[in-house]
Amino acid sequence: MKKRLTLVITLIALISLLTAACSSGNQTNESHEGGSNEKVKLTIWHNFAGDDLRAKAVRGLIDEYKKANPNVELDAQAIPVDGYRQRLSTVAAGNEMPDVFFVYAGSQSQEFYDAGLLQPITPLAEEYPEWKGNFMDGAFDRFEFEEGQIYSAPIGLSATSFLYYNKDLFEKHGVKVPTTWTELMAAVKTFNDNGITPIALGNKAPWVAQSTILGSLADRVTGTDWFLKAVKGEASFTDPVFVDALGKFKELVDNKAFQEGANSIDNTQAEQYFIQGNAAMMVSGAWTLTNLAASATPEQVAPIEVTTMPAIEGGAGEAGTISGGAGGGFALSKKTEGAAKDAALDLIYSISGPDGQKAIAESNSMVMYKMDLASSNVSPLYLKAFNVAMEAGITPVYDAYLSAEAGESINNGLQEIMMGGKPEDVAKKLQDAQARSTQK
Amino acid sequence: MPTYLRSRSFVALALLPAMLIFIVFAIVPIIWSAYYGFFDWSGLGSLKFIGLDNYEMMLQDPIFWRALKNNLILVASAIIGQVPIALLLALLLLKNSMFNRVIRSAVFMPMVLSTVVVGLIWGYIYQPQIGLLNTVLEMLGLDSWIRAWLSDPKVNMYAVSIPINWANIGPYLVIFIAALQNISSEVNDAAKIDGAVGFRKLFYVTLPNIWDTVIVTIILCISGSLKAFDHVIVMTGGGPAQSTELLATYMYNNSFTVYRYGYGSAVSTMIILISALLIGLNYIITKRRG
Repeated sequence: MKKRLTLVITLIALISLLTAACSSGNQTNESHEGGSNEKVKLTIWHNFAGDDLRAKAVRGLIDEYKKANPNVELDAQAIPVDGYRQRLSTVAAGNEMPDVFFVYAGSQSQEFYDAGLLQPITPLAEEYPEWKGNFMDGAFDRFEFEEGQIYSAPIGLSATSFLYYNKDLFEKHGVKVPTTWTELMAAVKTFNDNGITPIALGNKAPWVAQSTILGSLADRVTGTDWFLKAVKGEASFTDPVFVDALGKFKELVDNKAFQEGANSIDNTQAEQYFIQGNAAMMVSGAWTLTNLAASATPEQVAPIEVTTMPAIEGGAGEAGTISGGAGGGFALSKKTEGAAKDAALDLIYSISGPDGQKAIAESNSMVMYKMDLASSNVSPLYLKAFNVAMEAGITPVYDAYLSAEAGESINNGLQEIMMGGKPEDVAKKLQDAQARSTQK
Repeated sequence: MPTYLRSRSFVALALLPAMLIFIVFAIVPIIWSAYYGFFDWSGLGSLKFIGLDNYEMMLQDPIFWRALKNNLILVASAIIGQVPIALLLALLLLKNSMFNRVIRSAVFMPMVLSTVVVGLIWGYIYQPQIGLLNTVLEMLGLDSWIRAWLSDPKVNMYAVSIPINWANIGPYLVIFIAALQNISSEVNDAAKIDGAVGFRKLFYVTLPNIWDTVIVTIILCISGSLKAFDHVIVMTGGGPAQSTELLATYMYNNSFTVYRYGYGSAVSTMIILISALLIGLNYIITKRRG
């Protein structure tokens, strides 16, 4: 009997502990009392909670703001990436947004805008026109919900399609770095004749070929406008122009541009294969910079250069672009008014403004803000890629726009083409999948 | 032993906690999942009742049939591979010598390894450029045999099934050794006196004595192969282009990659039905022979 009593007591204690823990996570923020008096209370939520350089850089910027503004009582919450989206959705449902918060570009910020939770940060753009003008083309596309109003400024760029190449191998075999499709095919042939893999590809996780190669390849053939129409159902993926684009990918496969078994090795293995000098080129995103910085020796990295995918003769799209998406940025809650609003805008500017962008760029991660990094202490390879990105236009990444099912369909479709499948069939499956999900 | 310990009610009482846990965490989810299988549902948002449409779509999807075929390849390879090899090893390693114990642990080893580790190890063995298998073939001068084992759709399903069998032999070995040790020595002595040795002893004395165990291992093989998932996810992810898709990876991809949760639920219900069918079939066949 006594034992049972202890058990019951322990259970009660445990349960009350749990509920206490839960409720303490739900503090509401009373932050709008500023205005008349000097002291302003602000809350900021972000997901830069990790130990990576970028997260540290952003946290550093927030700390600096805190120091520089002693009249602002800043409550900064760093929430781990995994739970961030959900935490934010939860407070959004209760209309209790923090004053300033990090939002992803795309569906998340769109939802918040639709729910009337955001107010524009346009005053910043008016105050610092030079700052706004310094962003890359298209940087604000996904934050410009109304004409002439911006709701956030991106503090990142996810570039998915750089063409990395090994300068030494190109010189040794007298190959010109390809700027057109014809030159690329010539390079593929020369390298194959010399027993070197032309392009390293690790497509075991099937998004790789789609995200790194198809996005920019197809954009050069079809143009961006066609793709955005096809996503909405105003054009069809079975159009000859897209079948042609897939045909270009098939041309790479048929000419043995990729190493044998590319579908069974993963992206990291392909990076290793490339950095060890077994392959002359690799098409990959900015993440390869990070991976190489972590695993390759300086001698291995030295001959690596970065450029964009070659132009395609007769294609409707622009040359010199890379596929990628605007990263997230900081947004302002609709409820923040008066002195708190001014302070919040200041805070956003101190993270997303020129100094903030530079600090983030110096943490070896891509931003959409143009600057000269030559004198900064960044890795040489990153600097090369950064300069390429600054010059390049950004085109959409396929799976960021397609429905989940359609994305899966094209991912599998590219593997199918690598195994001898027909572009027409793959295009048809993609169209069917996209149509199914837009109908709903 | 006091009588109340042997009474039915005590047995029921003792089983109750385990039964409760089993019902809550196994039976109820199966019923829920079967229920969701009748809906068009993305996992979030509203459910739309569509009757048997999910099943109709499934039967019309060539990928489903390919997944089923791949699963049947796995079942066949498990029954042809795991059971006889485990039995053979059990017969060879029956005696408790130091050497035998070392070999037994070695055979059991992959079972203890995390499946992710097994998948990665074999991923490197099959690696097309620097993989162990292709390197060995090259050294032996068998260049024409070299291929991309995991991405060539003609061979990749068989390539995938080898590590799965390799990793799963261990427990069957233990089960068979236990069964063989359970054969009473009188039976063995009698067989010896009657002059039954070698294969004759195996087929007329040993096998009939452990036949029930063989049936159990075959059932375990069937159900294990039908829910195979982890090795394949690590080695190929069901790819390339869904060529090594299994029912479980097909279900997983539909539910969690493309958010067709209702459809995925229908697939998992189908897996249970197919599993029950095969085990029933096995029961009928082996019962007749036994």
